[in-house]
Amino acid sequence: MFDTLKEILVNKLKVTPEQVVPEATREDVELDSLAVVELSLVLDKEFSIVISDDELLEVPTIGDMARLMEERSAKV
Amino acid sequence: MGRHDVAVTGLGLVTPAGIGVGPSWEAALEGRPTAAHDPELAGNPVRIACRVPDFNPDLLLGGRRAHRLDRFVQFALVAAREAVADAGLDPATWDGARVGVVLGCADGGPATVEAQHRVLIEENPAWVSPLLLPMQLPNMLAGQTAIEFRATGPNLVVATACASGASAIGAARDLLTLDRCDIVITGGSEAMITPLVMAGFAKMGALSKRQDDPATASRPFDADRDGFVAGEGAGVLVLERVADAAARGARVRARIAGYGATADAHHVTSPHPDGIGIEAALHAALADAGAQPEDVQHVNAHGTSTPLNDLAEGRMLHRALTGDPLVTSTKGVTGHLLGAAGAVEAAFGVLAVEQQCVPPTANLHTPDPRLDIKIATAPTTTRIDLALSNSFGFGGQNAVLAIARA
Repeated sequence: MFDTLKEILVNKLKVTPEQVVPEATREDVELDSLAVVELSLVLDKEFSIVISDDELLEVPTIGDMARLMEERSAKV
Repeated sequence: MGRHDVAVTGLGLVTPAGIGVGPSWEAALEGRPTAAHDPELAGNPVRIACRVPDFNPDLLLGGRRAHRLDRFVQFALVAAREAVADAGLDPATWDGARVGVVLGCADGGPATVEAQHRVLIEENPAWVSPLLLPMQLPNMLAGQTAIEFRATGPNLVVATACASGASAIGAARDLLTLDRCDIVITGGSEAMITPLVMAGFAKMGALSKRQDDPATASRPFDADRDGFVAGEGAGVLVLERVADAAARGARVRARIAGYGATADAHHVTSPHPDGIGIEAALHAALADAGAQPEDVQHVNAHGTSTPLNDLAEGRMLHRALTGDPLVTSTKGVTGHLLGAAGAVEAAFGVLAVEQQCVPPTANLHTPDPRLDIKIATAPTTTRIDLALSNSFGFGGQNAVLAIARA
């Protein structure tokens, strides 16, 4: 799931690929609140994974975001 | 030198002739029309436009930055970077609190609005982008420029339709003369070539119907003109007080010596047939510059290629200016850049004054016989101490800039 998240961040949100590592924080990859809403929207629209922007803002790292994605997609 | 003169120390352009002052001015001097069939308008009633060629925002601004900007802001940032560098200024070291930004646009980001409206009605309201408003709001033009250049002084966007770019420069000059700041990044930017906007302009009867012959469609002051061709791009000027520019040894490319602004208060789209409002703006600009009507040697006209504008403006110029100035409309080359037009044409006015050369009016084959003005049809070297740049907007807003030799 980390690879999926990385692909979204790089291709949709135009984050530099080298920045996207599991231990990176939101600040490290420069994801502000608008970008987190964008991410939430792409997850819903293209992967049918429903995670609110508030939930994404609560987890500390990119790796944690990927784990959250795994949990939610498993429930579907 | 007039009491309110400000120095133009930097220029930046993104136009349908290319990215940068060099290619834009070269095309203007060659009188090379840029109108062409536009792939994004294919299948629409209006299929021609003057599009900025090979504009790659990812390369020019970086993918992350470009992704969050509408095209009209992307143009402005690219032009502003050129202008600030041209002025020899370094945003890393300047006192940002003394740097203002005043930019003009007619519309903001209609392409972003149209794309997100499709998401709303065709896909899912929940999928509308959070970037819709930060990308399309007109004020983002100045807000994003402030972020780019760490310019924390006065910051505003001016909207006077097709006069916006010139109105912005006039307002920027006022900020300097009132000592609100020391440097202003000013001009205009526009990216309105979308199927919806073009359909609207066409329904107003404003656009040329020469859909099969784009290169000859924009023909200011020609007897056979039948409307304008829409263009896109940005023009940015760096302005400083003359004394400040001299103190830091900056190259002064020309001076903005006067500004006149009026409203027709006549009709929402038609210019006043007697040109009363535009004539008043012209006289106001001359009075502001401390100049007389016979002093003007060159006019970069609004010259849209619409039947009504060019007749009213041409007659007004004959009536108001007694020094037989050499008139041109660079819209024959660039098309009508709408809210950016006044800024791009002010930049062309600066270049004409600096190089003592007037660019030609493209596609002028049979001058309108009702007009008695001298119009350049070839690049013409001539003495220019004072030039005017005219810009008039739907809504009746008129802005005239007086540009003096440095």
